[in-house]
Amino acid sequence: MSLTLAVPSKGRLEELTRAWFAERGLTITRPGGARSYLGAIEGLPDVTVRFYPASEIARELIRGNIDLGVTGRDLIHETSETGPASVDFARDLQFGHADVVVAVPDAWIDVTHMHDLADVASDFRSRHGRWLRIATKYITITRQHFARAGIAEYRIVESLGATEAAPASGVADIVVDITSTGSTLAANGLRVLEDGVMLKSEANLIVSRTADWSAPRKRALDDLLSRLGD
Amino acid sequence: MTNAAMRRAQLETLVEAQGGYRATPPLLLSADPYFDLAGEEFGRRLLLTTDQSGAEYCLRPDFTLPIVADYIAAGTREAAAFSYLGPIFRQRETGPAEFDQAGIELLAQPDGDIALDQVLTFARAALSLYGVAPSVHLGGVGLFEALLQQADMPDAWRSRIRHRFGHTEAMDRLLTRLEAAPDLPRSEQPSRDDLVEDVTARMVSAGLSLSEGRTPAEIADRFLEQQALDAAHVPAATLKLLRAYLAIKGDALSALRQLETLGEQHRLFLGAPLRTIRRHLEGLGEARVTFDASFSPRLDYYTGIVFEMRGQGAPCSPPAANMTAFWSAWVQQRLSPPPAAPFGSIALKRSGRDEPDPRRPLQGPP
Repeated sequence: MSLTLAVPSKGRLEELTRAWFAERGLTITRPGGARSYLGAIEGLPDVTVRFYPASEIARELIRGNIDLGVTGRDLIHETSETGPASVDFARDLQFGHADVVVAVPDAWIDVTHMHDLADVASDFRSRHGRWLRIATKYITITRQHFARAGIAEYRIVESLGATEAAPASGVADIVVDITSTGSTLAANGLRVLEDGVMLKSEANLIVSRTADWSAPRKRALDDLLSRLGD
Repeated sequence: MTNAAMRRAQLETLVEAQGGYRATPPLLLSADPYFDLAGEEFGRRLLLTTDQSGAEYCLRPDFTLPIVADYIAAGTREAAAFSYLGPIFRQRETGPAEFDQAGIELLAQPDGDIALDQVLTFARAALSLYGVAPSVHLGGVGLFEALLQQADMPDAWRSRIRHRFGHTEAMDRLLTRLEAAPDLPRSEQPSRDDLVEDVTARMVSAGLSLSEGRTPAEIADRFLEQQALDAAHVPAATLKLLRAYLAIKGDALSALRQLETLGEQHRLFLGAPLRTIRRHLEGLGEARVTFDASFSPRLDYYTGIVFEMRGQGAPCSPPAANMTAFWSAWVQQRLSPPPAAPFGSIALKRSGRDEPDPRRPLQGPP
């Protein structure tokens, strides 16, 4: 009964993930190099390693097509409303820290909290003939968070890159974006609301709840997790 | 015929008997009007698809919008009645995304009270087809607006409080914030001209358009208004009144008595909206009716009286029937001149099959 572990397929996320496992005595190998998508863990023949893009890891964990994997907490929340309920966050890997935040133009001196945004959104259409527009790639997270804040009057503009430029280019009024230091937002004249942190994210080793957990596979999982410490 | 088929046929007959024009909007509709009207919160329930040009479509999520949009486009201002029965599609956490919706739309009726009674009667008849003794849940948007208009508070707060009506948590957060409002000494207000200049400079340096979205004057004015609001407290007695009002909930007759008492204590004129509710109560006969002063669908185009009827969870599991009636202010906003009488609408939603339906009350049509 083999387990499938998914690891980000490139860049710093891959390096840091492999380093994290190595620190715990588990060496992830990738025999074919960067062009290969199949790997292993030395000494653990029952574990198959697959190299996937981080967003696909989130999707496949939620669907239960892979057993465990490393990806960002934000991607689990964004991929599906039921994402967080479909997985267990097993280990915080202590890297990839970033916050999903609501940011408004710094010039909006009257807007410091979400309740200000609620006021502005509520009469935005009568003033400007259109809804308040929010640029983001975090559609699911934005909808959930704004619903909780009681804000219904807005439209999302999907943005797949350079979200922080959306207000200046006129595409949107405000943004929901991910940031680790806030410096990119600040450089673009944007300010995070005081209660505008929607999600604190980090790289996490995540176990699928929807995968098939027969008793032997569950034992294999527990064994692997115990090697990874607390 | 199976029981399910029989009931479906009876529902069909009931809908036909409403005498309205039978409307059959397409299954595939442009998604934009739904987003424009109801925003992202409803949008997340839509089943979307995109054509080659990138235009977004959705599977019909309700009948009201296409029916009313057609009515507006036709340009008549005459009284009209529509009925419908057919599948709609909404994403839900559990249960099938396809279910039947039956309903009537009564537009520009000469007498709103009669229209609401027809809607209530239709809803009860539909539920009785399923052997359900409905419990009726009433809310008074008009009543709350009347109270808000008369309560002692700075004007600027009224719209902010109104906007949160129907969203219990948001309302609670606002009231809590107002209750805790610190008595800060007022710092000196910057002049409006200085503010506009400052905001303009910030917008220009960030490369923001000064006219496309919020303007410097709008931002400066709201900034000053906020400062004034922080200084202009809502009196503690008013906050207590609002809390007491919103907490009233229960058997309709005793709830209405509590509302009357509250109105008398605070010298409020709530007689007219309360009498309207009482009149409709009489029409409901023996149904179990509760009144919840804080109940309202979330969007602000609901006015007057709102209601929801739910089937009791009988063991034979009749489909939970959710019904909402509402006067659609948004239709009136789009008609010029506005029709003399309000618009009424009702939707009976039930699951596609005769099976237990665990879903929570719907938020109502967009």
